[in-house]
Amino acid sequence: MLRGVWPVIRREYVQRVHSKWFVLATLGGPIFLVATLAVPLWFGGGGGGDGLRGLAIVDGTDVLYERVAPALAAGGFRVEEVRWTSTVVDTLRRRADAGDIAAFLLLDQFTLESGDAVLYTRTPPSPLQAATLRSAVVRAALEIQLEQRGVDVEAMLAEAGLDVQLLAGAPVPPDEVRFMVAYIGAFLLYVVILLYAVSVMRATLEEKTSRIVEIVISAMKPWHLMLGKILGVGAVGLTQMSVWVLTTTLIIYSGLPAMLAPGGAGRGAPGGAGAAESAGSGAAGVGTSEAMGLEALLPGPDLLALFLGFFVFGYFIYSGLYAAVGAMCSTDDEAQQAQLPLIMFLVVPIIFVAHVIENPSAPLSVGLSLFPLFTPILMWARVAGGGVPAWEITLSFGLMLLAILGVAWLAGRIYKAGILMTGKRPSLGELWRWVREA
Amino acid sequence: MSSLPGTTDAYAVRLRGVTKRFGTHNAVSDFDFEVPRGSIYGLLGPNGSGKTTTIRMIMGILHPDAGSVSLFGSDPDATRRSRVGYLPEERGVYRKMKVLDLLVFLAEIRGIPRREGRLRATAWLERLELGAWAQRRVEDLSKGMQQKVQFVGTVVHEPELLILDEPFSGLDPLNQDELESIVRELNRTGTTILFSTHLMDQAERLCRRVCLISKSRKVLDADLKELKARERTGVVAVEFAGPDGWLRAPEIRHVERVEGALHLVLSDPGAHQAVLRRALAAGAEILRFELVEPRLHEIFVRHVGAGPGAGVGAVVGAAPAIPDRGGPPQGGDSPDRLGSLR
Repeated sequence: MLRGVWPVIRREYVQRVHSKWFVLATLGGPIFLVATLAVPLWFGGGGGGDGLRGLAIVDGTDVLYERVAPALAAGGFRVEEVRWTSTVVDTLRRRADAGDIAAFLLLDQFTLESGDAVLYTRTPPSPLQAATLRSAVVRAALEIQLEQRGVDVEAMLAEAGLDVQLLAGAPVPPDEVRFMVAYIGAFLLYVVILLYAVSVMRATLEEKTSRIVEIVISAMKPWHLMLGKILGVGAVGLTQMSVWVLTTTLIIYSGLPAMLAPGGAGRGAPGGAGAAESAGSGAAGVGTSEAMGLEALLPGPDLLALFLGFFVFGYFIYSGLYAAVGAMCSTDDEAQQAQLPLIMFLVVPIIFVAHVIENPSAPLSVGLSLFPLFTPILMWARVAGGGVPAWEITLSFGLMLLAILGVAWLAGRIYKAGILMTGKRPSLGELWRWVREA
Repeated sequence: MSSLPGTTDAYAVRLRGVTKRFGTHNAVSDFDFEVPRGSIYGLLGPNGSGKTTTIRMIMGILHPDAGSVSLFGSDPDATRRSRVGYLPEERGVYRKMKVLDLLVFLAEIRGIPRREGRLRATAWLERLELGAWAQRRVEDLSKGMQQKVQFVGTVVHEPELLILDEPFSGLDPLNQDELESIVRELNRTGTTILFSTHLMDQAERLCRRVCLISKSRKVLDADLKELKARERTGVVAVEFAGPDGWLRAPEIRHVERVEGALHLVLSDPGAHQAVLRRALAAGAEILRFELVEPRLHEIFVRHVGAGPGAGVGAVVGAAPAIPDRGGPPQGGDSPDRLGSLR
């Protein structure tokens, strides 16, 4: 039945893999990715962020400092304990004005109860620094509270699956590493799905405008041509991502970024200590407590498989739609316009992605992430952020499968009618007629 | 190539009462059409007369609103279509592909294994003196070379039927001759050829049978030789020495000079024998006496009205404008000669 599809797949694949663009992007991608991760670390050591290195901590509880200080020291802060007095804020403010210290952190009884602390600083902390501070404080507060209730925190933390958020009552945001993995992953999914789906659209448009399509169509069903293109471009995408994942892993494990970072490999990233530790307890990380830094950002095999799954399913949904757009347009400009509604479906999840990661179980998050056009990005965000029941993941893939079948049906018909059409782009009414009559 | 496994149908293509509408516009109306195996068939008509639509229906790209299309005796399914070499009117290439890769791909989608396709494509490229370009990208080739590559792409899978929609347009005369001779040769070895054109000269050179369509309807469908004989208008070309008084014979309505010869327009198409007798009786030395066959162009114009060459041949019949005689008639296709003196 699929006679003729294979040559199309092969042609699409070989042509693309042989192109200069592919070689450049495939080899350059990991370097770029590592650079974007490593450079902030590097500059994090100097420049504006350095102002926070000299950090005075005022501990009104007498129990928090001993726990917070080591975590912060591991995160690259230079900490100093200051005794609580009634004028301590004024004193420290003067010291900060004088440049003696960069910032000071107030911990009190309320911190112990709620995890809230106050940071006074002249320069705003970087997101990583803020997260490191927050997680060190919250963690210390939680540990103390739990120990007061007779819980062996160390033992419990060693076991995967302890949901600290539920015990705390108020939702504690996912830790920094998970957030990063979920967030970066969501963006990557957005980029690669869009990139390859648009490739399918361009290829379709090019075949149409160069008029080769009539020759090809005379030898095979339009639907087979469309399928071949989608599979061929998809295979290119998987190849490219495999290379990316492999080389990125190699680069990170070779210790190159750490060597590049000031202070050498031993120093690690700000927040790296807490990050690596907690990552070890969830699905998110393969990091060990020794390997502090970028390693913690590498997703584990399960998550990687899910990532590829979301890519493949998302790609099938969107590439079909983009193929239809390519088939119904006659010029690049037309196609640029016609694809706008599709881009909206990819952008909406990106708008919600941070919200969804932080509130994975909120009804809005669940609902949006189960809508098949949003699923690849938003369900990924929830899964990578942690705490999605397996049945929901299964359901989301089932719904995406239905969407793929629906898209194949719809896009196949539009493609068939549009691919030989020239002239004006069809109106919605005409499109519907194509679908009905095909 | 001439023995076709499993196909005994005498016609490569057969259309029965085919109608195709686009909106309210009838592109093809109630069209009957048969292409016998082994023929060279010309589908002629002005631009927009329905040629391309007809061909697209034969290739299963469009589906008729009424009537039936059969290819090798059955529906034009993918298997049958892969036995056809189809060169569409608007034809493209994958510009970024290497020439040989493109040809192998085009053969492969018609079911030719890659290795075999590579051999055949290479042979064709050598033959058309494009061998040195096999590993170059298509976009590096000149337009003429690209067209030859497209042609090779049409024949590389050794089709039983070649459908050429406005072939050779835009080719220089040398390449045109080369491809025409290949088409003839393919026909000799058993390939059925169907091609559409609005260039009457080309059709005249190549076709054995023509079908003329105009405004979506069939106007004529006949063997070219018979058609020409039938459409004679009673024009005789003569060259002679000696007395010319016989030119005022009553059978001759009008005389005009065309390229060194005199064209006599007779009042009655059958009167040429009488005129010849008069000339001989008058003592003229007849060097040439030839019934001028109407050129396809004239027949076209006569039946279609103001056709593609509107204005040029609009007064056929009264005074047969013989437009540029093009090249000399090819091979044995020259008009019936009565001989200088029989």
